[in-house]
Amino acid sequence: MPENPYLNVALMALFTAVFIVACSYGLGGVARWIVRKRGGTPKFQQNTFAGYFFAAPWIIGFFIFVLVPLGFSFYWSLTDYSIASKEPPNWKGFENYRTILFEDDGFRASILNTLYLTVIGLPLQMAAALFLAVLLNQKMKGEKIFRMAFYLPVILGFNTAVLLCWRLMLNAGTGIINQIIRALSGAFLPFQYLNRGFIYIQEIIAAFFLGLNTGKYNLLLNVLEAGFPADNRVPLWVQSPLWTKMSVILLMVWGCGAMMLIFLAGLNNIPKELHEAAEVDGATGWQKFWKISFPLLTPYVFYNLVVGLIASLQIFEPIFVLYRDNQPIVSSTISMVYYLWQKTFSHFEIGYGSALSWVILIIILIVTLIQFRLQDRWVTYDVY
Amino acid sequence: MKRYFPFIKSVVLYVLLTGATVLMSFPLFWMISSSLKTIEETNSPGIVWIPKQPTLDAYIQIFNNSDFLRSYFNSVFYVTLAMAGTLISIAAVAYAFSRIEWPGRNFVFFLMLSTMMIPAQALIVPQYVFFNKIDWIGTFNPIVIPGYFAGGAAMIFLLRQAMAQIPKELDESAFVDGATHLQVWWEIVLPLVKAPLATIATFLFVGLWNNLLTPLMYLQTIDLYTLPVYVSTLYNINQTVQPWPTIMTAAVLTTAPLIVVFFIAQRYILESVIVSGLKG
Repeated sequence: MPENPYLNVALMALFTAVFIVACSYGLGGVARWIVRKRGGTPKFQQNTFAGYFFAAPWIIGFFIFVLVPLGFSFYWSLTDYSIASKEPPNWKGFENYRTILFEDDGFRASILNTLYLTVIGLPLQMAAALFLAVLLNQKMKGEKIFRMAFYLPVILGFNTAVLLCWRLMLNAGTGIINQIIRALSGAFLPFQYLNRGFIYIQEIIAAFFLGLNTGKYNLLLNVLEAGFPADNRVPLWVQSPLWTKMSVILLMVWGCGAMMLIFLAGLNNIPKELHEAAEVDGATGWQKFWKISFPLLTPYVFYNLVVGLIASLQIFEPIFVLYRDNQPIVSSTISMVYYLWQKTFSHFEIGYGSALSWVILIIILIVTLIQFRLQDRWVTYDVY
Repeated sequence: MKRYFPFIKSVVLYVLLTGATVLMSFPLFWMISSSLKTIEETNSPGIVWIPKQPTLDAYIQIFNNSDFLRSYFNSVFYVTLAMAGTLISIAAVAYAFSRIEWPGRNFVFFLMLSTMMIPAQALIVPQYVFFNKIDWIGTFNPIVIPGYFAGGAAMIFLLRQAMAQIPKELDESAFVDGATHLQVWWEIVLPLVKAPLATIATFLFVGLWNNLLTPLMYLQTIDLYTLPVYVSTLYNINQTVQPWPTIMTAAVLTTAPLIVVFFIAQRYILESVIVSGLKG
């Protein structure tokens, strides 16, 4: 093998391509042979060969990169396998799973953080998405330009470079966001009270959630004891464990463009006649939205809820860029996938990491299946 | 009064739309503005909207930073190589699922759809062990090669839907003329699905360009770092004063290709997302 890393990977890519084509021929040939044995027509034989030939890349990849890894990781999850140790793995049965579910503080923290993002973050994100979708749906001139501007954050969202820019903007002392909040608080008294009220409520909720995690409610008592925030208080976005999740929510709201497009599709699907009929009956715009559009949008709300929930289990980049160097506060915002990464690759405990992967996999499967089951029940489809 | 209502309504709408646009693009503006500032300005307690004397020092500095340039090249290199293989294999598999009748097709298709429920992160641990066993840690292989096996069930699905809409008579007449499946795939079907291909290529590009987790796991040495990994190291956690203008310059140069690609392809993407409900 040559030492040049670029040549190395290029040759490996070439080798992989040849390997895939060879396997495709092989798979297609075997399939054709079986069909011929069973007496298929020449046309059918030919189609069988072509079908397996073209589908082979996925079929081979499924075995190498999905099925076999899943099998191995399930086996490892029942052992204490570790890359670092030389000794053969010991069988532990379901010990790893029991530890994760009942004794692992980090895992419980990640569940509670996901819950916080789901209960507080997702409604905010969806409200922003719905608001923008309704604005765009007015079909004004230049709609496409606005739509582009609202979707751009989805493309940029999780790039490290953009997240670093957020880190600059969220700095509690010199960051632009707090500078603007300070300036507005000084200028308008109502804004100042709004800001202080927001800080108060946010800190109480966040402290309560942190209390749920540790079982100690000192922080909540401290916040309550401190009372209504002083008039020069600003949010402590990336400095305080009370604010880390709110910063992530801010990023979620900024990246609401994907949800917005889903809502936009939903709004486009609402039959025009319904609105026209309501207008004849004298309904106001407000009534039309809540009585007609919103009920018909529930499938899309539900879809966004499930997708958003799954996405919040998988948040990685924002936590890595915003909080990696501030270990004491990482646990206040950790997501399941970040926890998996941290746990597995700090000690290379493959057994425990495999068990964690399976727990994440099963949680996501359950959420998805619940979506399939429930969506017929409390979601309005009938008017279509 | 009622006469003016439509006018007032559209003014209000435009104010809201413009306000939202300003908020949504503010981070971009701040990134560019900060890249032209001095360190003192980025860390000053007052608001500096636009630097009084814009300076290109940070740009000059970053263009002399060989680590940054190399990571830029690494990103371009790995994204190109991974995209080529992924696109071709996805196009082949989508063809098998839409234009050919073969025994077992429905079963394999169902299997493929169900893998969409498996989060990629659930597989990183066993894959890491696997790549460790075959000595691929510290090379580009783990972030390039898996894509060659038609990585991305959602994209195969999107392309399959597009291919299924092409009339069957088209390839049948080609077969009568003696064409093979390879020819029909490459010369007839692929040219007809250029728009969905462009969408998929864009999503692939964005996903690969932004990817942090797997390069972070596999690329171990600074020589191999891709942009997201390298840029994250520019924020030096051991320093109290961060070189913000330099970091923001790197950020501008990192995001520029994303924005360019998005502007070129947005017509296809936004339409297809609205049509298919696929989340990008």
